[in-house]
Amino acid sequence: MIIHQSIKDLFKHLPLKDGLNISFHHHYRNGDVVLNAVLNELYTQDLKALNLYPSGIFPVHTSIVEGLKQHRINNITTNYMNGPVSAYLKAHGLPGELIMQTHGGRARAIEEKETVIDIAFIAVSAASKAGDGSGLLGQRPCGALGYAVADAQHARKVVLLTDTLVETIENPEIKGADVDHICLLETAGNTSQIASGTLSVTRDPVGLKIAREAMRVIKASGYFKQDVSFQSGAGSVSLAITQMFVDQLKQDHLTASFFTGGITGVHAQALKDGLVRKLYDVQCFDEAAIESLKNNPNHEPMSASLYASPSNEQRKIKALDIVILGASEIDLDFNVNVTSDSYHTIIGGSGGHQDTAEDAKLSIIVAPLIKARTPLIKHTLTSRTTPGKHIACLITERGIAVNDAHDPTLKTTLEAQGIQTLDIQSLMDKAHALTLVPAPFKRPKHRLGYIEGRRKDVLDTLYWGERDD
Amino acid sequence: MARSYLFIPGNVPRMLQNMDVFDADAVIIDFEDAVSLTDKDEARHLTQLFLRDHLPPSLDIYVRINSDAQLMKDDLIALETLDIQGIVLPKCDQDTLKEYEASQANFRVIGIIETPQGMIEVEKTAMHPCIDGLILGAEDLKKEMGFTRSSQTLYYPRQRLLYAAKAANIKAIDTPFTHLDESGLSEDACEAAALGYESKCAIHPNQVPTINQLFLPSEADLMAALKIVKKHEQTNSMRFSLDGKMIDKPVIDAAKQLIEKSKRYGVKGVL
Amino acid sequence: MPKTVSVGTLESSDCMMTIKPHHTTVITIHTVVHEAFYDHIKQTIDKMIAAHNLKNVHVICEDKGALDYTIRARLKTAIERYKDIIHG
Repeated sequence: MIIHQSIKDLFKHLPLKDGLNISFHHHYRNGDVVLNAVLNELYTQDLKALNLYPSGIFPVHTSIVEGLKQHRINNITTNYMNGPVSAYLKAHGLPGELIMQTHGGRARAIEEKETVIDIAFIAVSAASKAGDGSGLLGQRPCGALGYAVADAQHARKVVLLTDTLVETIENPEIKGADVDHICLLETAGNTSQIASGTLSVTRDPVGLKIAREAMRVIKASGYFKQDVSFQSGAGSVSLAITQMFVDQLKQDHLTASFFTGGITGVHAQALKDGLVRKLYDVQCFDEAAIESLKNNPNHEPMSASLYASPSNEQRKIKALDIVILGASEIDLDFNVNVTSDSYHTIIGGSGGHQDTAEDAKLSIIVAPLIKARTPLIKHTLTSRTTPGKHIACLITERGIAVNDAHDPTLKTTLEAQGIQTLDIQSLMDKAHALTLVPAPFKRPKHRLGYIEGRRKDVLDTLYWGERDD
Repeated sequence: MARSYLFIPGNVPRMLQNMDVFDADAVIIDFEDAVSLTDKDEARHLTQLFLRDHLPPSLDIYVRINSDAQLMKDDLIALETLDIQGIVLPKCDQDTLKEYEASQANFRVIGIIETPQGMIEVEKTAMHPCIDGLILGAEDLKKEMGFTRSSQTLYYPRQRLLYAAKAANIKAIDTPFTHLDESGLSEDACEAAALGYESKCAIHPNQVPTINQLFLPSEADLMAALKIVKKHEQTNSMRFSLDGKMIDKPVIDAAKQLIEKSKRYGVKGVL
Repeated sequence: MPKTVSVGTLESSDCMMTIKPHHTTVITIHTVVHEAFYDHIKQTIDKMIAAHNLKNVHVICEDKGALDYTIRARLKTAIERYKDIIHG
């Protein structure tokens, strides 16, 4: 194992050339420093035609904008993106294509060699001299390293970047056998930035109303029973539902079998309280989750492949009962967009959206029916992230719509428990009664790339530039 | 029959247009304390146009007007043609009621008893022909009386208002709880419920679920009421004994009302 | 006293409506729902200033996703206040 004192040093020992495929993970989220440091050094060395495979792109990643401006980046393949890179791509496009994958799809593509990574740059909070990598040890932990595992196993060259060297690491998520280089940095990343954003249970009354309605549906659905399994994201409404879900388990003297996905302090507390037996953690969303992963043996890290790859028969979400998912738009066939806003700027991406929607037995979309004057339900989506056939129902503050095409019995089940449902068209009409009917949006002129489903299917095209008049 | 009366500021579109999603049984659109003196006209226009365009069905809507004579007059003019359940009159006593009568408006009125004067006149106010209900306004009363808020200090005003309301056969609505912490709210609401209150004001939408839950008849109460009405119907009698207790007309009426309320708010066992 | 009135707020679902004197009648609209509702908003404002016979004013609408009733209510208040100022 070669240990380098700087990225400059490291680069002397890497097969750098134009057209490299390089990858990063986003476990430090907006506190990541590695991607910027590596790209800036690559620019200094005048490398061009780079192809980026970060698992997520955050506002902090301004070096990508710089690389785009200098025409050094050809293609970007990622699972999630917001901030200045999105804004730049909307305005200027890129020479190659933007491919928006899913978490499971990214792991599958790497494992099946569709995606070939020349060099994986993996930030870890500690590395051992044998090249093992951990997100838990050291001064600046980031938690689970699920999104980096496939990269470590399959990239031609694997570099760990860290600020802490230790003698040994027990059960490392990144195995020394896969690692070629270690590079020391002043900081591996900013732990305090991981939880930035919306990671608290909502106090917004509309959000809480949606959460209460979702909990009513969960209880009435028939899936809420001993050994139920559950996933919800870290959005403030999702988190409120997780809290209600856990409270209800306690009240009904039930235990859940497992929670999957991104893990927060709310999940960790439930594990501690004995309300759930296992947490399968692909990514820690806050420091409480990191602490729990460090100390609780029933809180296990999992790779993105073990989480969600459609080719992995052991994937945890294959056994998932209930998933709570968001939407920025939904159409009358329950197709969901979480990728772009109505002006075609990328505002997020699938992450595990399509993976979990497809695998979970009950996939529930929660979203406000109207945000300011913008109705959630559209005739035509800006872009399609998740096919409607996977979605069981939509829950808004003004009503619940069940997707009969997904499960023809759910509506009857809910109504037998006293839950009123509407068809999605009536729900759309309700919104329009308040907002009026929005004028149709015109899409921009130029192709930016596409949204790729977890099995390499193309779900929709992405666009950039001014609208096509 | 409403359990929760939710205050909605009259000048905040985001709150007005969502008034029907918070699960409150009734809402009180506020022109008084929630609207600054310079914005009263904004609130009147906003509320007026909202209710004209988007009147939420199946929600009891009241408007709390101002007690100042000129403001009250302008408030009432703005509400003239609107389909609302009634108005809420702050600082309600015999004088403000006279002021209201002088305006010649003919809304039903819920009075807020929140001054010492209002409290010593509460029996008279309760009997006033335009009055439909009374709200206890403990926060203002507290300021004027100089007491600190506790179940002890609220005991007398709660009791006195409740007797006045029950004797006049009108609604008695408990004072809002002004801290936004939930455990304090349920304790406060439980105390009111124990005294005989059947509803309470909410000053934040997030208080509504707790209030609705606490003022929902229990399943046991519902079963008892169903039993009483069943025997009443079988015997066709207004006076009978059941499980060792004497049942007469007021008890039967109360049982019927409880069943009605349970139906409306979906207590288990009534479907 | 400056002859400018402003009504409403810049909070979500609200709009701020400003009226000031101008040598012609001009309407400026900035809205977060430009593509979907700019034309609706323009029509609403046009109609109301015509109905109130308002001339030689600059009407500025800073819209944060207000529904139609809010736009009309804010403008109605603004027009009333503006007329009060102009006519003493």
